Amino acid sequence: MTLRLPGSLRRIRRRAPLISTATSFAVHLAAFAVLLSLFATPASGQSFPRVNASVQEKLIKIYGAGGRRGLEAYQSGFLISNEGHLLTVWSYVLDTEYITAVLSDGRRFKAELVGADPRLEIAVLKIDASELSYFDLGEAVELQVGARVLAFSNLYGIASGNEQSSLLQGYVSAVAPLAARRGVYETPYNGNVYVVDAMINNAGAAGGVLTDRAGNLAGMLGKELRSSLTNAWLNYAVPISELRSAVQDILDGNFRSRAKQGTRRPDDHVTLSRLGLVMLPPVLAKTPAYVERVVPDSPSRRAGIQPDDLVVMVGRVVIQSRDELIEELSFIDRLDPVHLTILREQDLLEIELMAQP
Amino acid sequence: MMLKFFTAACVTLSLLAATHGQNDELIRMEQDAVRLAASSVSDSVVQIETLGGMEKVGRVLIGTGPTSGLIVSEDGYIVSSAFNFIQQPSSILVTLPNGKRRPATIVARDRSRMLVLLKIDVDAPLSVPVAAPRGELRVGQTVIALGKTFDPGQVNLSVGILSALNRIWSKAVQTDANISPSNYGGPLVDLYGRVVGVLVPLSPQSNAEVAGAEWYDSGIGFAVPLEDVNRQLDRLKSGTDLRPGKLGFAFAGGDQLDPEAKVAVVKLNSPAAEAGLQPGDLVVSINDTPVERHSHVRHLLGPLYAGDAVRLTILRDGETLDMEATLTDVIPPYEHAFLGILPHHRGSNEGVNVRFVYPASPAAEAGLQIGDIVTQLDGEEVENAEQLRTLLVNRQPEQLVRLSWRHGSEAVDGETTLTRLPEDVPAAIPAIEPAPEQTEMPTGKIQIEIPEEPNRCTALVPESINHGPNGGLLVMLVKPGETEVDKIVDRWRAVCDERRLVLLVPEPRDGERWQPRESGYVRKVIDHAIKRFELGDQRVVVLGQEAGGTMAYIVGVRHRDVVRGIAAIDAPPPHRLRQVENEPLERLAILSATASSSTVADRIKAGIKAFRKLKVPVTVLKRDKANAPLSDDERAVIGRWVDNLDRL
Repeated sequence: MTLRLPGSLRRIRRRAPLISTATSFAVHLAAFAVLLSLFATPASGQSFPRVNASVQEKLIKIYGAGGRRGLEAYQSGFLISNEGHLLTVWSYVLDTEYITAVLSDGRRFKAELVGADPRLEIAVLKIDASELSYFDLGEAVELQVGARVLAFSNLYGIASGNEQSSLLQGYVSAVAPLAARRGVYETPYNGNVYVVDAMINNAGAAGGVLTDRAGNLAGMLGKELRSSLTNAWLNYAVPISELRSAVQDILDGNFRSRAKQGTRRPDDHVTLSRLGLVMLPPVLAKTPAYVERVVPDSPSRRAGIQPDDLVVMVGRVVIQSRDELIEELSFIDRLDPVHLTILREQDLLEIELMAQP
Repeated sequence: MMLKFFTAACVTLSLLAATHGQNDELIRMEQDAVRLAASSVSDSVVQIETLGGMEKVGRVLIGTGPTSGLIVSEDGYIVSSAFNFIQQPSSILVTLPNGKRRPATIVARDRSRMLVLLKIDVDAPLSVPVAAPRGELRVGQTVIALGKTFDPGQVNLSVGILSALNRIWSKAVQTDANISPSNYGGPLVDLYGRVVGVLVPLSPQSNAEVAGAEWYDSGIGFAVPLEDVNRQLDRLKSGTDLRPGKLGFAFAGGDQLDPEAKVAVVKLNSPAAEAGLQPGDLVVSINDTPVERHSHVRHLLGPLYAGDAVRLTILRDGETLDMEATLTDVIPPYEHAFLGILPHHRGSNEGVNVRFVYPASPAAEAGLQIGDIVTQLDGEEVENAEQLRTLLVNRQPEQLVRLSWRHGSEAVDGETTLTRLPEDVPAAIPAIEPAPEQTEMPTGKIQIEIPEEPNRCTALVPESINHGPNGGLLVMLVKPGETEVDKIVDRWRAVCDERRLVLLVPEPRDGERWQPRESGYVRKVIDHAIKRFELGDQRVVVLGQEAGGTMAYIVGVRHRDVVRGIAAIDAPPPHRLRQVENEPLERLAILSATASSSTVADRIKAGIKAFRKLKVPVTVLKRDKANAPLSDDERAVIGRWVDNLDRL
């Protein structure tokens, strides 16, 4: 389902083998240039060093499993309590007994996994340290489209020991659900994210921090994801407000089993035959959802659907093909109303109907 | 009102920038300015969804998500990027900022700037944005790229600066803001909320819809100025597709920075020819803009469409002339004229020394003989083969020419009618007789290594290469899996020695197959060999059998500037071959050999037909058995074919 363009520059390293490693080095350099120019511009301001320092001391470099080609054994995280709790993304990196957390001052700790929420893809770790500066999740800010943001992370694992994490600047491009459609993204998370116009989701960046320009916590940088909506690699962070209660649950030791939401089919669901629709057979890979025939005395006939009508939407979801129509109908319980939008000549018609048993 | 506010905001911004300590305020104001500018255009940006269509175009898988478009007139016209419709959808839906969905139809396409004009029915006037005047754009100014991919009610944005003004032959401006399928078709706006342009993927090399999309989110994106779009709106609204305009002339030499734009070729039946342009004319200005150098001409003509009128000012024999031409989208294929001789490799500078006269050719009709020296064509002096070639490029088949030559000590004049280039290989072409060694190149088998390229390449340099200049080059692209390079070299040794050809045998990186991108490597070995062995530029041929032959087509077509012949044995051209035109100054000939029993005989036949339609001469060899190794006879014919490619 994931669709691709021939390689984005920032993903050269493993997904686009056509381009040499020399270019990949250039990507690292470019990331640094962003970082440098930020400090060089007058707009960075006098208060900026303070902002940077206050965020940096809360950032954690995390090392764990992985290390094979294309699977980096590192990611980012940040402190969220006075008792050494830290928040990061749930990933294969944590799939080991030996998780190492390196503080901004270079101290190294063995981290224990306190708990994880696979639906939100977050994990809470704990290190045996206290009196550290941390982000209070309760004080996180909400961002709007057009807000200037800073992203802190150990992207590409470029910093080690007490070297400071990398800093990128950008704007919030959109605040939108990650899973605008079923099956589009390779993640179970389906809440809103901050889409950012800087390359903030490269390898190792997941678990890093998104802040406003004053250094106030706003989101956690997500894993590398590719969207088939746009073909492009996504740059996004999950708002802290979406994570807060789950983190609290983990800290409280309440593990709720969370099934993947929105992807479960009702046992008794709507089908074409229960609507009395016969569609144009699949002659192409993406045969449009044209009605070939309407069964006499069926719900569709009564609703006024005609041969040659093109079904373009089910509920609020745009249908691109006959197969998608069948798929989308299968998520509707037979007892629920079906809302179809039909294109007839140049008119869009909205039709409501109930499936028959 | 809005504009006033922006102006005030910007003035304040710049004042603040000068003072220290108030940067937080500055950042907040900048942020507010970006948001205001974006939201003031938001009502002119629509979300577009497509239904049906292909899943893949070439090797590019198509996204299925919503894309963006920009309203350009209140009665329902919307422009978008052609990239958003490459899958050829069966239906298009547009969601207006108020959430209403409307079916849309494609009215027309701009195939030069890669735009599409859509039309929807509306019951209330739509919000049309203000275009930023192109003359006011400045490199470095803040710009915001907008799309409606995520939400039809609110724009998604990315912020950057204008990076350059006249890109892609002056058709677009460039920005470092993130440009990708999430905003292709949307607007690039300035801080005043005016639309700078429509975001599209573009490439300076290619007019394909997907070209340039590989640069998404990489700091280089393009927008077609809205002013330019608006100027063409009436034409597009009338349902007329716009295409790049062509004049049909070319400059000599590849130096784009040459300050003199001197015309070398004027194609027959082209707008340039009809306007009266002649070879040798110096193009001084186009539409009253002075031409500063070669490449400038392309910038001046690039923005124009077929059907546009253009005024050329030229300098001819010290006289300034004005001429009008109307650009066209298709120029009839160019066809080379043929006199019927081969020039001797060791020429003097007192004329063209005739090495061979083609039987029944125009030259033979006129009475030319081997050993004669051609001195004039239509009264113009010719000192060498190169000059005669340039004169012939501006003649056409069936044209009557006057010829002067020396036969021994006798001066002879004659007339003859030129023909088209022959496709048959002469039954015999006498070899160049050995001469005292003129150069002292090491001969024999040599390994060629190109820095940073892992491919192996073997070269055979025959003794005859030292007998004079203008040796030829035969690049043999082995059939993948064929590892016995030594045997190949031994089999070709006699032909290469007789025809004065250096043989190159590059091997694919991966023994199993040739990758199209390895054509870059093959190009490097060709350049290396031409320089190292001081070869001529007219007899450079790429040869291959089966997969190697298809690769030969790829190399030949991609590197027209050096390759003069493609010989494909039992191989059809690849399915998606770059568009070929018969170029006056980049002559190309094809040799296609196979048996009717070949499994790809139909595709080979179709390829031959296609090249002939483009007026590229195709020599066809019938083989007894497809996919069999080349026989000695076949190698001899191929050798003569290569040898005759410097024909005049």
